[in-house]
Amino acid sequence: MSSPGYTIAELLTVVTARELRDGEVGFVGIGTGGEAFILAVGIPAAAMRLAQLTHAPNFVPMFGPIIDADLRRIPKSMAEHDLIYWPSKCQIPLDDALDMFKRGKIDVGFISGTQIDRYGNINIVVIGDYRRPKVRLVGCLAQTDHCAHAGRTISIIKHAKRTLVEKVDFISGVGFLDGSPDARKRAGLRGGGPAKLITTLCVMGFHPETHEMQVESVHPGVSVDDVRANTGFDVQVAPDLRDTVPPTEEELKLIREVIDPKGMLLRALWTGQEATIGV
Amino acid sequence: MNKELERQVKLTSLTDAVGLVENGSTVAIGGSIIRRHPMAFVREMIRQGKKDLRLIGWNNGADFDMLIGAGCTNKVETAYVGLSMFGMALNFRRAVESGAVTMVEHSETTAIDRFKAAASGLTFIPSKTPLASGMETECVENSVHIKCPFTGEDYIALQAWTPDVAVVHMHMADRYGNILLDNRRMMDNEIDVFIAKSAKKVIVTVEQIVSEEYVYENPHLNVLPKCWVDAVVETPYGAHPGSCDTRYDYDAQHFELYREMSRTAETFKGYLDEWVYGCKTEMDYLNKIGIARLLELTRARGVRS
Repeated sequence: MSSPGYTIAELLTVVTARELRDGEVGFVGIGTGGEAFILAVGIPAAAMRLAQLTHAPNFVPMFGPIIDADLRRIPKSMAEHDLIYWPSKCQIPLDDALDMFKRGKIDVGFISGTQIDRYGNINIVVIGDYRRPKVRLVGCLAQTDHCAHAGRTISIIKHAKRTLVEKVDFISGVGFLDGSPDARKRAGLRGGGPAKLITTLCVMGFHPETHEMQVESVHPGVSVDDVRANTGFDVQVAPDLRDTVPPTEEELKLIREVIDPKGMLLRALWTGQEATIGV
Repeated sequence: MNKELERQVKLTSLTDAVGLVENGSTVAIGGSIIRRHPMAFVREMIRQGKKDLRLIGWNNGADFDMLIGAGCTNKVETAYVGLSMFGMALNFRRAVESGAVTMVEHSETTAIDRFKAAASGLTFIPSKTPLASGMETECVENSVHIKCPFTGEDYIALQAWTPDVAVVHMHMADRYGNILLDNRRMMDNEIDVFIAKSAKKVIVTVEQIVSEEYVYENPHLNVLPKCWVDAVVETPYGAHPGSCDTRYDYDAQHFELYREMSRTAETFKGYLDEWVYGCKTEMDYLNKIGIARLLELTRARGVRS
């Protein structure tokens, strides 16, 4: 694939921004480094700012207990001090912030996962048997809350066979369960469930009836075969499959000159260590 | 005129406060990820050879990991054990993979809600969070599927957590046990107040002891009045290597050292020998960290830099 004039991080930022609507509230957690930071924090933050600048001026970002932070003034580091003094309109106790999920006030939850299945169920707890795992991971964090309560969730991930699996070893975040009609509602969950997977190869949504993951658009230079070869289950393709619309000149200009001129977000420099998304 | 009767002084030594923790008891530890865990207290727990503890929290890190690596616990319950951008908590990972320690899954809100329930005098609190997740299918401990008596909706009843001891690290206290937090702080750790209120015995380690008069001048900063506190200990830099809000940053170098020495059980023994058993007191530990490093971490000195 020849150099397209934009980075994969820029492409994913633009694609994500287009998914966000004016007046919505989006929740991002902070606390990783490197490539994981770019996917979980950098791109969502840049996307929320791009959305504010292009079509969603009233979009409210939440970084844990830090609400409506000034995305024009990303802190110079992840030092505790810099986070506490990050200009923001509101810093409330974390339990109040998380209760907003339960109250149904969080429209978009940005989440990531070690394993994701075709119905969008996610796992960040174990690889292998839950009781005697092959690999023990960190724990549910707030992912179960995101997936139970958010209006919808968006996942930004590296497209990989070991991530997109036939069956997750533990459900730390509920997607559409077994895909049966109204499975979430019958389980008693109020949140809307997963809406989009924005990957390094394509954009995937969920079929409105079967709730199965389906490829909606492939990025420039990527084929459906590439997607299939890197997915651990036989992924469906939407009937109206299209090419992902690449970033416009205007969008790139905003990202490079206004939103992230120093790469704090898309090259992880906010964490003090430069990183990029390897494809 | 009558003389004032002596009031109870709850200020005590670290050694005596840790002495209040009994083997086999349930201990709640406050703080979150790499922020404001009562690490001085944790190190002294290891020195005193505490055993068979059940540890509960909501977002834990080196606190749980160190106690696991030192063999002090057989069961942990929290939504997270990790070192944030410094990687996985390797003692925790090893112990759960081998079966030496049991981990019971929680999400951030299910752990927080259990503390909140107890802090409000309730024996349970309903939550929709665990429904249909692995928490419901695999970890049914202290959870029951119920229906709302008014709407018939599905909920999971989470049993309240009432630990034998809660330990939290805060900013200031007077000798009588009134606990004050700095005005500006990371709001993740407001949970510490619920953790303290849930417990049968409450131990608070603080950065500094202040005068009674200072407390009279700042009642709005008092989050735990003395009647809800059993022991106070002065442990300056007591969250190290974690951060303590605007007072000092987390020590990235030490976390990297910690992670490297956690790679195997043998190398971790080396960490404990050097930084815990080898430092008889917390002052020994701070002297080993060194004044230059502590000043670097304190660089911003509580104001916007």
